[in-house]
Amino acid sequence: MRDGEGMLEGLGEALSRGIERRTALRLLVMGGTLAASPRLLAQGAAPKRGGRLTIGADADPIGLDPVTTAAFSSYDFTSLLYTGLLRWNAEMKIEPDLAVGFEQPNETTYVFKLRSGVKFHNGKALDAEDVKATFDRIKDPASASPNATLFSNIKSVTVVDPLTVRFELSAPSATFLSFLATNPIGCITPRGVGDLATKPVGTGPFVFESYEPNQQFLLKANPNYYESGQPYLESVAFRFFKDQASLTTALRSKAIDMTWFKDPRVSAQIVRTSPDLVSAPGKTTRTFPVWMNMKDKPLNDVRVRRALSLAANRQACLQTVLGGSGKVAAMIPESHVGGYDGVGDMPYYKTDPAGAKALLAEAGYPNGIDLGEYIVVAANPLDVSCAQILQQQWAEAGIKVAIKPMETAPLLAMWVKGEYPTLLSVALSWSPDPDAIVSRLLSSNAYGKSMGMNDAELDAMIVGARAILDPAKRAAAYQQIQRRICDQAYVLDIYQYPLRWEAWWSYVKGYVPLASNIRSFVRTTWIDK
Amino acid sequence: MGAGTMGRMVLLRLALTIPILLGVSVVAFMLMRALPGDFAQAAAGTTSISAEALDTIRRQLGIDRPLWEQYLAWLSGALVGDLGRSFVTKRPVAADLLPRFLVTAQLTAMAGVIAFVLGSATGLASARLRGSADWLVRGLNSLLLAVPNFVVATLIVLLFGLYFPSVGIFNYTPFMQDPLANLTSLLLPALSLGLTVSVTISENTRAAVLEVSSQDYVMVARAKGLPRRAILLHYLVRNALTPVITVAGLQLAALLGGSILIETIFTIPGMGQYLFDSVTTRDYPAIQAIVLVAATVVLLMNVAVDIAYARVDARVSYE
Repeated sequence: MRDGEGMLEGLGEALSRGIERRTALRLLVMGGTLAASPRLLAQGAAPKRGGRLTIGADADPIGLDPVTTAAFSSYDFTSLLYTGLLRWNAEMKIEPDLAVGFEQPNETTYVFKLRSGVKFHNGKALDAEDVKATFDRIKDPASASPNATLFSNIKSVTVVDPLTVRFELSAPSATFLSFLATNPIGCITPRGVGDLATKPVGTGPFVFESYEPNQQFLLKANPNYYESGQPYLESVAFRFFKDQASLTTALRSKAIDMTWFKDPRVSAQIVRTSPDLVSAPGKTTRTFPVWMNMKDKPLNDVRVRRALSLAANRQACLQTVLGGSGKVAAMIPESHVGGYDGVGDMPYYKTDPAGAKALLAEAGYPNGIDLGEYIVVAANPLDVSCAQILQQQWAEAGIKVAIKPMETAPLLAMWVKGEYPTLLSVALSWSPDPDAIVSRLLSSNAYGKSMGMNDAELDAMIVGARAILDPAKRAAAYQQIQRRICDQAYVLDIYQYPLRWEAWWSYVKGYVPLASNIRSFVRTTWIDK
Repeated sequence: MGAGTMGRMVLLRLALTIPILLGVSVVAFMLMRALPGDFAQAAAGTTSISAEALDTIRRQLGIDRPLWEQYLAWLSGALVGDLGRSFVTKRPVAADLLPRFLVTAQLTAMAGVIAFVLGSATGLASARLRGSADWLVRGLNSLLLAVPNFVVATLIVLLFGLYFPSVGIFNYTPFMQDPLANLTSLLLPALSLGLTVSVTISENTRAAVLEVSSQDYVMVARAKGLPRRAILLHYLVRNALTPVITVAGLQLAALLGGSILIETIFTIPGMGQYLFDSVTTRDYPAIQAIVLVAATVVLLMNVAVDIAYARVDARVSYE
C-alpha cells in the first residue's frame, strides 16, 4: 500500500464514521496496534523483556515541554515521554491512545472518553482537567506555543466529567484530528507541574532518568504504562553524534543499535556493509522547494517564474542528488492526503529550455536574465548540490544565478521575513496535515505576505479544503490546489524524499519506522542479542 | 632581576588584561547580535509558529531590548559572577559551563603535553641527527601541517571505530567516575589535537637548536672537550628552550580553537562542542560566557609565558 493511501484511509475511517453515526458513542477498537501492524506480527517470536536500546541522535533537544518546544530535535524525546489523546499507527492511520474513543455530535464538536487508570510519571492520575489545562496552556500567549496556530480553531475545551472532555471548534476542520494525533503537538501534560522543559512528566512508555548535554539522554521503562506488557525494553539511551562520520562509525561498531541519516547515499552505503543492518523503506515526507520573492520585479511576473519551472529538469536533480531515492515533488509530499505521487502531469513540469527562453523574451528579457543570489542552507549538502544542478539547468535557458550557501539561523530569518533578493531554498519537513503546508501560501499568512502572495482564488481553495471532511473530496481539493500552485509557479518544488533514513541492527525487533520519523514504536521494540 | 620588579610586572600585565577582556566581551556581544537570526527563529526552524509567539519568546528572553541595555545588564551581572541563564537549558550558564570547561582544560592539557613532548623530541632529533632522520621528521611534519586536525581525527575515528572497536572510541568517561578510563578515552582525541601543534613546536625546536649549535659558546664548550651530553643539556636545550616556550604558549589558542572540531568528532562534552551548539542555536549568554572564559585563559597563558621567558632567559628582564 502506498503511504498516501494509508494516511488517506486513516483519516477517512476516523472522520467518516464520526459523521455517519454522529450521536452513537463510538469506541475505536483497542488492540488495533497489533492488528494494524502486520510487520510486528510477521516478526514472529514472542518479545524478550529487558535490555537497553542505544540510539544515535544527531542533535540535542531544545526543551522537553511539548507545549513550548518547536525543535525537531526534541521530538525524539517527547515521543517516548508523552502521549496524546490520539496517535498515528504503523500505517499512518489515526487511532485512540489516551482516549478510548470519541463521539462527534455535530461537525464542530468532539467528545473524547479518556482511558481510566492512566498515571503520569509523577504518580498523579490523568483526568479531563489535565486535557483542558494542556490546551489552556497552548492558547495562553505567554506560553508562545508553536501549537497555538495549529489549534487556533478550538473555541472551547470543557470538562464534562473526570473522564470526558468536549472540544468545540469554530468551524468544521479536517486538520483537527491529525494535529491531535501528532507528537508532540497533541501531547497531554499534567496540570500544575512547572518546568516540564527540563524535568519532563508525561504519560508515555518511558520515564526521564538523566540528561547530560552532548553526551547521553537516558530513559527507563515506565512501570505504570497503560498498555499491558509494554514497553519491553528496560531502558533507552540516546547518545549524541554531531558529526556524520562519527555517527556512521558508531553504528557500524555497534556503539549504538539504531540511528538515522540525512543523506540517502550514506544510508545505502552503510547498510551494504553488513547483511545484519536493516534500513527502513524510505517514505517521502520532505520536499525541496525553491521559494521566490514575488513582491518585486522580475519574479512578480508569472512568465519569469514559469520559465524557471520549464528550465528545471527535476528528474535529473533527483537522480544526481538523491541517486533516485525519492520522487519528483509538488507542494504536498506523497505521504499526505492529496499528496503528489511524482509521476502525474503538472503544469510547466516538462523540461523545455527553448520554451523557457521564449517566455523570458515575452516578459522583456530576450537576452536572458540575471537573478542574482540564490540562497541555500550551507549545512545541508543535498540542498547545495541540487542548487548547483539547477544553476546549470537554468543557465541553459539564459537564467543566471549565483549560489550563496548560508548558515541556517540567518537564512530562516530571511525566509520568514521575505528579505531574500530573489530565490531561496529551505526544505519543508513532515507536518501532520497538508493544510499546514499550503497555508503558507495564503495571502493573509505571514509567510504568504513575505513571499508576496496575492491570489484570492487560491486563498478560497485553501480555506475551503480545511472544512472538507470527506477524505476523497479532500484529496481532490489538494490536488487542485497543487495544480494551481504549479500553474502559477508560486513555489518551484523539485523533489520529495524521506526526512531521515532510519537504520538499525537486526537484533533490534518490533520497531516500526513512521513516515513522520517520530520514534513512537520504541514502545514495542525489544532486543534479541 | 629582583622579586619585586617581577611581581610588579605580573600585576601590570594582569591589570592590562582587564581592558582587553572588556573589549573582547563587547566584540563577542555585538558580533553575535549583528548576525541575522536569533534563538527564537533558530529553535522554531520551519515550523509554522506565529510571528506573535516568536515575539513573546524574544520578550521573555529580553533580546528585544536595545543592544546597549542588554549589554549593560549582562556586564553588571558578569562583574558579580552572574553570567546569565542559557536560552536552551534555562540553567545558569556558569553551572553549564564549568564541567565543560574542566573537560576541555584536561583535553587541551593532555594535547599540550603530547605536542610539547613529541614536538621537542622530534625537533631535537632532527637537528642533532641530521641526514635521513632529519629528512623523515621534516617530511612527516610537512604532511601533518598540510592535513588539518579534523581530518586526522576523522581518520582515527574510522580506523579505531571499525577495525579496533574494543578501544571504545566514543566512550568518554568523566574523571570522577573512573580516572583511568577517563585518561584512556581522551588519549586519541588529545593525540589528534596535539599532532598539528607538535609540528610547529618541532620545527621551532629544530631551528633553535641549529642556531644555538652554531653559537660561539657551544664551539668553545666542544673545544674544551665537554661530553656531548653535558653540552646538550646545559648549553643547547636551555638556550633553545626560550623561543620554543613562546611558541608553545601561543599555540594554546590553536589548541582551544581545535577543540571545537575534535570534541564534536569524538563526542566529548567539552567547551568546544558547547560553543558549536551555542552558536548554532544562538544561545547568546552561553556564547558570551565561553568567549570570555577562553579569552581569559589565553591572556593568562600569555602572561605565564612572559614569566617563564624571564625565568629561562637571563637576558630578559622587565625592569
